[in-house]
Amino acid sequence: MDTYLQITTVVGVYVAGVVFVAGMGWRIYQWATTPKSPVRLGMFPKPKTRGGRIMKMLKDTLIAPHSARIEPRMWLFAMMFHVAALAAFVGHLRLIQEYPVLPSLLGAEGMNAFAGWAGGIAGTLMMVAVLYWIARRTFGPFKQLSVPEDYLLLVLLLGVIIMGNHMRFIGHVHATDYREWFQSLLAFKPVIPDSIRFSNVGWSLGTHMLFVNALLIYFPFSKLVHTIGSFSANLVRSE
Amino acid sequence: MDSQQITTLTGVLDKKMNRQLKQYLDICARCAICKDACHQYVATGDFTYLPARRAELIRQIYKKYFTKAGEFVPALYEARDPDENLLDELYESTYACTGCRRCMYYCPFSIDTAWILSVAKAILIAAGRGNEMLGQLADASLFKSDNFEMFRDVIVSGFKDIEAELKELTGDPSAEIPVDKQGADILYVALAGAHSILPAAAIFHEAGASWTLSMFESANYGFFLGDVEKARKIADRFMDEAVRLGVKEVVITECGHAYRVANIFHEAWSGTKHPFKVRHILEVIDEYIKDGRLKVSRCIDVPVSYHDPCQVGRNGGIFEQPRDIVRALATDFRDMTPNREQQWCCGGGGGIVAISEMDAFRLKSGKKKVEQIKATGAKIVASPCENCRLQMEGLNETEDLGVRIAAIMDLVMECMDLPGRKQAAEGA
Amino acid sequence: MSDDIKVDLELDLKGLLCPLPMVRVSQNITNVPVGGVIRAVATDPGAMADIPAWAQSTGNEVLSAGKEGSEFVFLVKRIK
Ligand code: HEM
Ligand code: SF4
Ligand code: SF4
Repeated sequence: MDTYLQITTVVGVYVAGVVFVAGMGWRIYQWATTPKSPVRLGMFPKPKTRGGRIMKMLKDTLIAPHSARIEPRMWLFAMMFHVAALAAFVGHLRLIQEYPVLPSLLGAEGMNAFAGWAGGIAGTLMMVAVLYWIARRTFGPFKQLSVPEDYLLLVLLLGVIIMGNHMRFIGHVHATDYREWFQSLLAFKPVIPDSIRFSNVGWSLGTHMLFVNALLIYFPFSKLVHTIGSFSANLVRSE
Repeated sequence: MDSQQITTLTGVLDKKMNRQLKQYLDICARCAICKDACHQYVATGDFTYLPARRAELIRQIYKKYFTKAGEFVPALYEARDPDENLLDELYESTYACTGCRRCMYYCPFSIDTAWILSVAKAILIAAGRGNEMLGQLADASLFKSDNFEMFRDVIVSGFKDIEAELKELTGDPSAEIPVDKQGADILYVALAGAHSILPAAAIFHEAGASWTLSMFESANYGFFLGDVEKARKIADRFMDEAVRLGVKEVVITECGHAYRVANIFHEAWSGTKHPFKVRHILEVIDEYIKDGRLKVSRCIDVPVSYHDPCQVGRNGGIFEQPRDIVRALATDFRDMTPNREQQWCCGGGGGIVAISEMDAFRLKSGKKKVEQIKATGAKIVASPCENCRLQMEGLNETEDLGVRIAAIMDLVMECMDLPGRKQAAEGA
Repeated sequence: MSDDIKVDLELDLKGLLCPLPMVRVSQNITNVPVGGVIRAVATDPGAMADIPAWAQSTGNEVLSAGKEGSEFVFLVKRIK
C-alpha cells in the first residue's frame, strides 16, 4: 500500500507534471514556429474588426453554436462534460489554497457540504457524459471513425472520474488533508498524511492519481491538445 | 510500397505543412459532428465521404511520419504508410469533395477539411494519381496561353461573332466588345463560352461602363486538380493582363471558384499585391441597378429561388447582392432553407462535373438540394456558378423538378429593355 | 473537305457550354482506336480554341476545325 501510494501520489505526480508541462510547451513551440498558411482560410460572414473576430472566436470555441445546431444531443453532452470538467478543475484549486471568501461565508462545515455537492454534481455529470461518449463510439460511423486513441482517452477519463467520485461519495477525508499532501508535493517535501493513508480511500486516491498521471502524460500527444488548439483554429475561421 | 515513394509523398506533406494544417491534424476530436454537414455523406451514408474520415487518411500519414508518438505507437492512431490502399481511398474521397467547406462551418474547431484535402491532392499528384481529366483541362488552358499567338485569331474572331450579336441585341451598331483596351476601368474575365460574355457585354453597354474583355477564361482547372503551380499560372494570365492594361478592377464572371481564386488565393500564391480591386460581376450589376445606371423591370412573375454557390457565399462572402438583384427582377423571391452561409452544397463543385466516373454519385449527392428546391415551390432557380448550374440541370432532369435553372445575368438581360432581345433569345 | 476521312465516332456537342465540349471529346477519345477519328459538332465558340489546345497538350491531332453556319465542326484523330 505504501509503495503504491508512493508511486502514484508522489513519484508519478512529479513525472506526469514534468511530461505534461514539457510536452505542452513542445507542442505550442511547434505550432508557433510552423509558418502560417499564406492563404487566408477564413469563411464568411466574418467580423470586420479584430475585437469582433476575437469575440466570435471565443463564442465559437466556448459555446460552439454551429455544432449545437447540427447535433444538439452531442452538443449537450459535450457541454455537460466540459463545463463540469472546468468546475472540477476550479474545485481542485482548493488543493493549492483554500478559497478566500467562501469558507468564512459558509463556515467550515458549510464549505465542506458545498464542495461535496458541487464536486458530486460535476463528477456525476462528467461520468454520464463520458459514458455517453463511449456508447456513441460503439456503433455506426462513430465506431468506424474511432481509433484506439479515442477509447484510451475515454477510459482514462472514466478512471479518473470514477475514482474521484469514489473518494467523494465514499470517503470521509476532507480537503484540508488532501491539501496537506498536495502542498507537501509542491514544496518538494512529499508526505502522505496518516489521515489519508489509514482511511478507507487511501487506495482510491492512489488509483485516481494513477489515471490522472497517465492522462496527463498522454495529454500532449493526444487530440486533447484541442484545449489550446481550438482557440487558434477557431480564430482562423474569421481570418 | 518502396521507401523511395514514401519519402516522396511524406516530402510533399512536409513541404505543404503550415500552422493551420498542423493544428487541424493535431486537434480533431473525431467527434463526427461534421458528418451531417456533408451533402455527400448525408446522401450516401458511405463512410468514405465522411469529412473527418477523408482528413483522417492524411492524419494517419502525419502521425506516422511527423509525430514521435505515432512513430513509436502507430497502432494507437492507426498511423500508416501512404500505401496503395490508402491512396485508393484518398483518391476517391479527395476528388469527390466539392470543397464547399460546409463541414468547416459546423465543426466545433472550424477544421477546414477541404484545406487538408488540398494537400491530399498534392500527394496524389506526386504519386502519379492526380485526376487525369482535370489535369488535361488545366494543361489545355496553359497550352493556350503558352502558345497564345496560335490561338489569338480564333479567340478574337469568336469575340467578333458575339459582338455582332450584341449589336443586334442592343440595336446599337456602335456597341462593341473591346479587347486589349489600355486604361479601361474594368477587365472582365469571362469563361470560354459565349454565354458568359454576351449578357455581361449588354449590361456593361447599357451601364456605359469603361471595360475590356480578357483574352483568357477565368475557369481554373489547376485549382480543382490541386496543383498550385498550374493554378497560379492559369490565374496569372489575366492578372498580368490586368496589370498591363492598367485597369482599376478585375471583374470575374458568374463563376464560383474563379472568384475565390482571384479574390482570395491568387495574391497568396503569387506573393504579390494586386494594384486593382477584384470583384464579382454580381457585385457590379447590383451597384449598377442601385445607382440607376442599369434599368431593369420587374419582369419575372413566377417564384424565383436563389442557390448560394459555396465559393461565392460561404467562401466568397457574397450573400446579399445576388438576392437584391433577383428581388429587383422578380415579384416572388423565395429563399431556400437553410440559406446563405448554411446553404447546402448542390454537389457540383470542386471540378467533379468534369469527372465522368463520378457522374452517378454526383447526382445522388444532390439529394438535399433537390429537397430544398422542391420545398420552395420555385419555378426558376437562379445561381451564379457554372458548376452549380450544371449540377442542378442534371438534378432537374433526373428528379423531374420542372424548374428552370438560370444564370443571374441571363435573368437581368431578360428584364432589360433591349430592342433586339426577342430575336437573340430565339437564336440562342 | 472531310469526305476522304473515315469517322469512327460522331459526337453531338451542340448546346454544351465550355469547357464541356472539350471534356466530352477527351472522355471519348479512348472509345476510338489509335489512329481513329472523332467528328465533333459544337455550338460554343470557345471550343474553337479549347479543343485544339486540348489536342495539342495531350498529343492528339486536330485534322480540321471549321465553322459551318452557326456550328463548329472538328475532326480529332487519336494519336496515342
Ligand atoms: C478550453 C478548453 C476546451 C475546449 C474549448 C474544448 C472543446 C471541445 C470541443 C468543442 C470538443 C468536440 C466536440 C464535442 O465533443 O462536442 C471537445 C471534445 C473533447 N474534449 Fe474538450 N475542450 C476543452 C478542454 C478539454 C479538456 C481539459 C479535456 C479533458 C480533460 C477535454 C476532453 C475532451 C474529450 C475527451 C473530447 C472528445 C469527446 C469524444 O470522444 O467524442 N477537453 N472538446
Ligand atoms: S467535426 Fe471537426 S473535430 Fe469533429 S470529427 Fe469533424 S473535423 Fe474532427
Ligand atoms: S468540403 Fe463539403 S464536400 Fe468536402 S468534405 Fe466538407 S462538406 Fe463534404
